[in-house]
Amino acid sequence: MSVKLSANVWIGALLVMFAILTFLPFYYVMLASVSDSNLIREGELMLWPKGFNLKAYGLIFDNAQFLHSFAVTVTRTVLGLAVNLLLQLTIAYALSRTYLPGRKMFMIYIIITMMFNGGIVPTFLIVKGTGLIDTIWALVIPSAISTWNVILLRTFFENVPSSLEESAKMDGANDIAIFIKIFLPLSLPAIMTIGLFVAVHHWNAFMDAVIYTNSADLKVLQLFLRDMVIKMEMAALMGDMSAMSEVSSLSIRTASIFLASLPILAVYPFIQRFFVKGMMVGAVKG
Amino acid sequence: MESTTNLQSAAGQRVRRKSLAAAWSAAGKHKYLYALLLPGIVWYFIFRYLPMYGVIIAFKDYNFSKGIWGSPWVGLKHFEFLFRNQDFFLIVRNTLLINLYELIFAFPVPVILALLLNEMKNVLFKRSIQTVIYFPHFLSWVVFGGIVIQLLSPNEGLVNNVLRYFGMEPVFFMSKSEYFRPIVVISSILKESGWGAIIYLAALSSIDPEQYEAATIDGANRWHKLAYITLPGISNTVVIMMILKVGYLLDVGFEQIYILYNPSVYDVGDVLSTYIYRIGLQSAQFSVTAAIGLFQSVIGFFLIWSTNRLAKKFSEVSLW
Repeated sequence: MSVKLSANVWIGALLVMFAILTFLPFYYVMLASVSDSNLIREGELMLWPKGFNLKAYGLIFDNAQFLHSFAVTVTRTVLGLAVNLLLQLTIAYALSRTYLPGRKMFMIYIIITMMFNGGIVPTFLIVKGTGLIDTIWALVIPSAISTWNVILLRTFFENVPSSLEESAKMDGANDIAIFIKIFLPLSLPAIMTIGLFVAVHHWNAFMDAVIYTNSADLKVLQLFLRDMVIKMEMAALMGDMSAMSEVSSLSIRTASIFLASLPILAVYPFIQRFFVKGMMVGAVKG
Repeated sequence: MESTTNLQSAAGQRVRRKSLAAAWSAAGKHKYLYALLLPGIVWYFIFRYLPMYGVIIAFKDYNFSKGIWGSPWVGLKHFEFLFRNQDFFLIVRNTLLINLYELIFAFPVPVILALLLNEMKNVLFKRSIQTVIYFPHFLSWVVFGGIVIQLLSPNEGLVNNVLRYFGMEPVFFMSKSEYFRPIVVISSILKESGWGAIIYLAALSSIDPEQYEAATIDGANRWHKLAYITLPGISNTVVIMMILKVGYLLDVGFEQIYILYNPSVYDVGDVLSTYIYRIGLQSAQFSVTAAIGLFQSVIGFFLIWSTNRLAKKFSEVSLW
C-alpha cells in the first residue's frame, strides 16, 4: 500500500512540475506588465510584482494603432467565423448523406488536398489572381475550409439517427430545410467546438496577414504585437542603437502580449468543455 | 461480325444513355444537396487545386505579365540551380536537424504525459493539470515566441535574472547559434506537448477496463499492466503519429521559426519554409521557390510512403 501511494505522489509531482513549467512563462509576462520597468531591468523581478502599477495598460489604450489593430482582428474573426462555418457545414452535411451519388468521389477530391498542396508561392499567385490581396477577404477566404473540420462535422452529421430525416421527408421538407431545421440544432455541440477553434485560429493567425496584406489599415493585432515585441527585442539584441532608443519599456511590451491573449483567456474555460469531446470523436472516427 | 459489334456498341450506347439519364434524374432528386455541396467544391478547386497546377512555374521562367501559362518553359533549370547552391543544402540540413531533434526530444513527451495522467485517479487533480497544460496551445506563436524572447532577454529576462542571482554572466540566448535549436525544441515542447497528449488520452480511454480488472485478479502489478495492457493499447496510435511526423520531416512550423529567428542565427535556423518566404515572396523569385516547394512535397510524400511501408512490415499498423 505504501509503495503504491508513493508512486502516485511521484507521478503527481511530475505532472505538477510540467504544469508549472508551461504556465510560468505566461505568469512572468503578467507580472512584468504590472511591475516597474526599472526594477525589472535591475533584476529585481522574480515571482511577485515589484512596484505594482497599471500605467502600461493606460498607455496601450491611448495607442491608436493598437485599438485599430484590435478592431481589424475582431472584424476578421467575425467574418472568418461566418464564412468558415457556412462553407464547412454545407459541404460536411452534403458529404454526410451516404446515399448521395458521387459522395465517395467528392470525399477523395477533398482528402487529396491533405496530402498535396501547391505551396506558399503558387497559392500566393492564385490569391493574387483572384484580386483578394490587400482586402480583409484575403484573411478570410483562402483559409475558409479546413478538411480536418469537414471530416469532424461530417462524422457528427452521420451519427444523427436517419429516422429523423426520413420522417421530415414524408412531411415534404426538402434537404435544405432538413439541414437547417433538424441537423443544425442537433449538432450544436459540434458546431460550437469547431466554431471556437475557427475563432481562435483567426484571432491568432498572422502569416496570412504578412503574406496577403500590406496596408497599415489591415494590420492585425498579432502583426502589431510582432512589431512591438519581437522586432524591438531583436533590434536591441543586434545592438541597433537607433532602434534601441525607440524600444518601449518591458511593461508596455508585456502588457500588449497579455491584452492580445485576453480574449483567448476569456473564452478558454468555455472551449475547455467542448474540445476534449470533439477531438476524441475526430480521433476515433476520423 | 461487323454487324454484331455494331449491335453491341448500339446496345452499349443505349445503356450509357440510360445510365446518364438515371444519373441526371438522381442529380435532380438530390439537387438541394448538390447545391449545398457546390460552394465548397468550387472553393477547393480555386484555393487548393489551382495552386497545385501553379506548381508548373517551377519548370518555367515565371513572369507576371505573361502569367502562369504564358511564361516560357525552361525544363529543370531551377532544380539544377538549387542542387548546385550551397545555401540550399544548408537549409535542408537545418530543416532535417530541427525535425530530428523534435522527433527525439519532443515526440515522446505527449506520450509520457498521457501515461502519467492516465495513472492519476483523482479526477479534479487530473482536470486541473489538463487545463493548465493545454492552455499554451491556444496562444499564437507571436505571443508565445514573444514570451520566450522576453524570458531569455539578457537585461530583463527571468532566466538571466536567475543566472545573475547565482553570480553568472548574462547570456545573449537569441543571438547565439548554439542555443537556437534547443530553444526551438524546448519552446515546442512547452507550447504543444500538453495538447498533443489528447490523442493518446483518447486512445487510452478506449482500452477495455475489464482487461485491467482481469490482470489485477491474476496478480499483475502496476508495471505489468503498463507493459502488457496500456502500452500495447496505444502503440498503434504512437506508430501512426510517428509516420505522420516523419512525413513532415521537411516541414518545420513556419510561424515558430519566423518569430524566433533573426539574421544572426540564419546559419542554423533558416529552414525551407522561411527560406521560401524570404526568397520567394520578399525577393520575388517565384520559379526557384516553387521548385523548392515541389522538392519539399515530393520528398515528404516519399517519406510518408516509405515509413508507412516499414510500419506495415513490422507492426501491421499503417495509414493505408
